[in-house]
Amino acid sequence: MLIYILKRLAAAVATLLLIMTITFFLMNTIPGSPFLTEKSTPQQIELANQKYGLDKPLIVQLKNYLVNYMKGDLGVSLKMQEGTPVKDILFKQGKFGLSMRLGLLAVLVAVVLGIPLGCIAAYKRGTWIDGLLRVLTTVGVAIPTFVLAATLLIYLGVKAQLLPVLSGSLTNWKAYIMPVISLSFYDVCYIAKLTRTSMLDAINQDYIRTARAKGVKNKWIVLKHALRNSLIPVVTFLGPLIAFIITGSFVVETTFSIPGLGKYFVESVINRDYTVIMATTFVVSILVIVMNLVVDIVYKVIDPRITLSSSDE
Amino acid sequence: MKKFIALILCLTVVFAFTACGGSGGGESSDGPFVATACIASEPETLDPGLISSVDGSTYVNHMFENLMKYVPTDEKADESGNVMMTKVDLGQAESYEVSDDGLVYTFKIRSDAKWSDGEPVKAQDWVYSWQRLVNPETASDYGYFLDGIVVNAAEIQAGEKDPSELGIKAVDDSTLEITLCQDTPYFTEMCAFASLMPLRQDVVDGNDDWATPDKMVCNGPYKLSEWTHDSVIKMVPNDQYYDAANLGPAEIDWYLSADETAILSAYQSGEWAFVESFPTDMITSLQDSGDCFIDPYVGTYFLYLNCDQIKDWRVRAAMVLSVDRDNIVDNVAQGGQTPATGFVASGILDSTGADFAFGSSDLGAMYAWLATAYPDADLETYEGRCDLAKQLYQEAVDAGAWDTNTTVVYNFNTDDTHKAIAEACGQDWSNVLGLKITLANQEWNTYTNGLGEHKFGVARLGWIADYNDPITYLELMVTGNSYNYGLFSNPAFDEAIKTAKATAAGPDRDKALYTAEETLFGEGGFPVCPIYYYTNMYCNKTIKNIGYTSMGYYFFQYAQPVE
Repeated sequence: MLIYILKRLAAAVATLLLIMTITFFLMNTIPGSPFLTEKSTPQQIELANQKYGLDKPLIVQLKNYLVNYMKGDLGVSLKMQEGTPVKDILFKQGKFGLSMRLGLLAVLVAVVLGIPLGCIAAYKRGTWIDGLLRVLTTVGVAIPTFVLAATLLIYLGVKAQLLPVLSGSLTNWKAYIMPVISLSFYDVCYIAKLTRTSMLDAINQDYIRTARAKGVKNKWIVLKHALRNSLIPVVTFLGPLIAFIITGSFVVETTFSIPGLGKYFVESVINRDYTVIMATTFVVSILVIVMNLVVDIVYKVIDPRITLSSSDE
Repeated sequence: MKKFIALILCLTVVFAFTACGGSGGGESSDGPFVATACIASEPETLDPGLISSVDGSTYVNHMFENLMKYVPTDEKADESGNVMMTKVDLGQAESYEVSDDGLVYTFKIRSDAKWSDGEPVKAQDWVYSWQRLVNPETASDYGYFLDGIVVNAAEIQAGEKDPSELGIKAVDDSTLEITLCQDTPYFTEMCAFASLMPLRQDVVDGNDDWATPDKMVCNGPYKLSEWTHDSVIKMVPNDQYYDAANLGPAEIDWYLSADETAILSAYQSGEWAFVESFPTDMITSLQDSGDCFIDPYVGTYFLYLNCDQIKDWRVRAAMVLSVDRDNIVDNVAQGGQTPATGFVASGILDSTGADFAFGSSDLGAMYAWLATAYPDADLETYEGRCDLAKQLYQEAVDAGAWDTNTTVVYNFNTDDTHKAIAEACGQDWSNVLGLKITLANQEWNTYTNGLGEHKFGVARLGWIADYNDPITYLELMVTGNSYNYGLFSNPAFDEAIKTAKATAAGPDRDKALYTAEETLFGEGGFPVCPIYYYTNMYCNKTIKNIGYTSMGYYFFQYAQPVE
């Protein structure tokens, strides 16, 4: 297992380098400049390019980025908070922390509600409960997040005035409610559907039939035997989900005025804030790589039959 | 399993109950008065020398004070009665003198003018700030602002002279002398401009993060107390300010957002008291409910007509004439805008105090030359203008100057209103002239990049005046100007602008400026198609005594809650 993890980490470094290189060239392919405004002149843009080294050949700029990243220097923002170190923007100003808190809570809600709902639907297959849950989850995955977020905002925030319209820096528990519902609703429904399908698949396996023949109670069959095996697709879904959800959602953060990373990431692309684009891509990439590794390890824990590498065989 | 279902139901009930607790979280009406407003999203900076946006200038106007400042008058800006127009008056200067030739301004700084750390405000603070602004190394968007106004500013911007050679000097700690290139009637107004605020060299030099709550030293009525990026900027009264005793709000909270639905929700829930942005389709109902009001705003929404692609002036004139501006204002923009009749925005005044937009002709500058050249044309009605448009278009086609199979590309930056205006114009040109139009929306950065490369047939832009003088618009169209995206070039126009810039305020200068705008819409011209003059909309019912200038700045320093 340790050798496998080390190998994966080595591959991760290569993957990161590749992602950073591709992102860098893509970013420079799109037209525009971080210094372009309605009233900026070509001379001003040229001076600003010189100031931040953007007048150098692309390959030199890429080399500078990579060398600085190895030293832990993510550079300074070119546009959105000009001159402020990107590291400070992401971590000191709490953007990453905010998105992570919100995202982890949403994942927790998605898992805590999604898996049991899927189990119930499978357990009660063919009954009205199954029918109701199937309709609800199908509707749930079809509702776009921005529609749900705006609906909650207008009805719970503005009309009923039950919850604060501005979630801001999430300083009290009420501020979490609407963003977490908006962020987790799709995932609750999707996980429930996924769990139900894989649970039904597992229930039809021979070992379940054997357990029944041995007289094991139905609920124990579901909880002890079928559930564990039906979690593999859910874990596969959860890995990338966690990586993306904790790095923020543009729609939810914009709707509830949360100064998180998701909104900042999208705006950095619009504003051509190259250093912020590179840094946020770097952070998201690391998280995706780590979560994929974690998922692979969890596979092994859930189902010992799964082999992680040729050495395990 | 039954227990498990019960647990899920319990969780659902608990969740539902928790969701039902609490209030909207608005400001308490019992505590000190906190003014809450949202005028834009996160500003790039709060450094006066680097700001370029109206919202950034508004924040700076509350934290800094220039030689001159905007003070409220008795004139109401709109029917709400809560917003008052302002005028330019003495600020940190207690007096000023102008030399007989109008070239040298000598300001005397107030003896009680202090920075927020208690240090006295000195004349040297302006010298440092202005030299920093024009220094090309600062790369300020407004680095050009003093070009052709203050001696050597243009040369310094071009890198030909050192910033120390700028025509500004501190005679002593309280006396500031500024030398101008020529008599500039609007110079005192410029002395209230946000980019020209004084700055302390010991605070700014070498400190890239000086414009942050812990480090900012300012001389205006309020000081920065908190800046939660992408969330809120908070200001509290500056107790060193000479008029601190008369300030209104105990705190001003500027919330930062660009999401119109979120902004309107925050306003309607009472969490924000003053907002400037909301969905267009809500304007009518907000006006009906007495929430939304419209203030004058000196700005023009216009279209560049690329002279390199639409080479014949008659085609461009036909396009200008065939746009139904009343329809756009009433049914598309819906913000109480005024249909444009020229390039210089309504509200810009000539030396006699008359609105420049209507000074040359009752019809407006856009139609003045046409009225003379085509005396039989009815330019007062849209139908009459369409008839002339068809005539001019046909003349161009008959002369072989325009191929009717040509498709004109209309670029606009992604935005629902810009799109709707583009569709309305495209429809007018298609219906009236039979012109083929392709609409192309682009995100902002790609769009502005395309403007600079002149890759368009038609392209939109809005221009808000920096100061109250027609030059702020007209010089954009001078040959070689970096904003002359439509590549217009006319020696007579260039000469008229040159004359105006070299002439002291008065009838001769006015004449040169009027001539320039008539040339812009004369034979060989029509490089722009003005659509409407901007207005500023806001929602507010709970704050009064807000100051306003038609340059778009609101002032909350003397605001009070509505009883």
